[in-house]
Amino acid sequence: MFVAASAAIAFTFLLLPLAAIFLRVPVLDLIEQLGNDVARDALLVSLKTSAIAHAAVLLVGTPTAYLLARRRFRGRSLVVTLTEIPLVLPPAVAGIGLLAAFGRFGLLGDELNALGIQIGFTQLAVILAVAFVESPFYLRGAIAAFEAVDDNLIFAARTLGAGPWRVFLRVAVPLAAGGLGAASALALARGLGEFGATIIFAGSLQGVTQTLPLAIYAELDTDFDVALAISALFVVVGAAILIGLKAFTWARFDSTSPSRLAPSTSR
Amino acid sequence: MRALAALFAILALSLPSATGAGGNFTVFAAASLTDVFPKIDSSPRYSFAGSDQLALQIRQGAPADVYAAASPRHPQLLYHDGLVSKPITFATNKLIVIVPRSNPAGIDSVYDLRRSGVKVVIGDRGVPIGLYTRQLLDALGITDGVMRNVVSQETDVKGIVSKVALGEADAGFVYITDAKPVASRVRRIQLPDWAQPSIRYQIAIVSSTPRKVGARAFIRKVTSKRGRTLLRRAGFGVPKKR
Repeated sequence: MFVAASAAIAFTFLLLPLAAIFLRVPVLDLIEQLGNDVARDALLVSLKTSAIAHAAVLLVGTPTAYLLARRRFRGRSLVVTLTEIPLVLPPAVAGIGLLAAFGRFGLLGDELNALGIQIGFTQLAVILAVAFVESPFYLRGAIAAFEAVDDNLIFAARTLGAGPWRVFLRVAVPLAAGGLGAASALALARGLGEFGATIIFAGSLQGVTQTLPLAIYAELDTDFDVALAISALFVVVGAAILIGLKAFTWARFDSTSPSRLAPSTSR
Repeated sequence: MRALAALFAILALSLPSATGAGGNFTVFAAASLTDVFPKIDSSPRYSFAGSDQLALQIRQGAPADVYAAASPRHPQLLYHDGLVSKPITFATNKLIVIVPRSNPAGIDSVYDLRRSGVKVVIGDRGVPIGLYTRQLLDALGITDGVMRNVVSQETDVKGIVSKVALGEADAGFVYITDAKPVASRVRRIQLPDWAQPSIRYQIAIVSSTPRKVGARAFIRKVTSKRGRTLLRRAGFGVPKKR
């Protein structure tokens, strides 16, 4: 009884604000908002920067997670913990950190200037901010997924003559795919919602650095209805990406979780 | 659903800040008043934010007793909708351009901001600082040249100040009062008086307050001789004594 009541409270609490947004924005208005310049530009900036940042995170993060999951070395848990620090940082701290490192007068400022690279106020700044805040979400899940892969299968592949790279690509990644997909979806969603680090590090300019969350914040000052409509758009886009990724993962790979929509990251 | 409502009722009762009735005397004030208002009166509870956000919160029934904004726009709108008393002007402000101490783009006057490659940060058109900046550029006749160089439109003055103070941007338009706290990190470029927009801060009593006496007393403190002196010391102008 208590358990059922708790579940009902949790479910209602999480969904009520989302439902409230849609109760205040008729579906037709929502479609009309896609024609609004601010909303459309923000959606394009968000999709582009998130896609690039996410691709980079997957490309670099997957081998890194594999290494951290399979190798035992001194200081391994320290390294894993360090990669998780951004998880517990407020995004504002991430933004200030990125400025201090990559800003014009930051740690790498002189080197970047010499190469003619200025990151501040560009889409590259948005991509860096998104990648910074989302990568720990992916790494955590991916490490757990690789740790759950049966050692014997890896050894068997090695004794049968497969090189380490081939084992990684053809054995480890497919076996961990369910967990990798779940971690990837969570990280992507976190990246799409990124706000604090972006506004501090990249600024906010329509069509360049103004992502969906930034546009919502700017429109709060101008037109509450537009802010509400973009929020609704955000819920739809976020849900579509999450469900799409989960459906893809479930259809393509076997999950170890009994729940199809929530593949576990470990056994 | 009922359980959830009950949960919120318990939360609301146990957290004094979540309820208006019986709570503290609360002043909603523009972010640019953050330093000076507590000096004028340290007893109220303050909520400092963008004037527009505060107006939105008052419309949604936030427990404010007094509303002080960085422009007459929202106080007047609220007044005409019966949500606040007749607003009075208690301070004025001016715009100024700030550049990083090292002045990487070599800016000597506001007209230099038209040069290509200069990174200019201004306020979003939805916030007062953004509107005033656009008025000023229009009066100077350099809107096109400067807007082409805008690399970010910030949603509050703090965003503009920090990007210039950290040297990330070459120049930014802010209130003269915002340049004071970062004086060691930025250089100030004066703007011609004839182009300055009229920037008036207005204050009003929120109609729904049960603490009208306290609200009137607070406004008297702000407009008193001491209040005016403290405002002037913070860089504000004050209107002629009525």
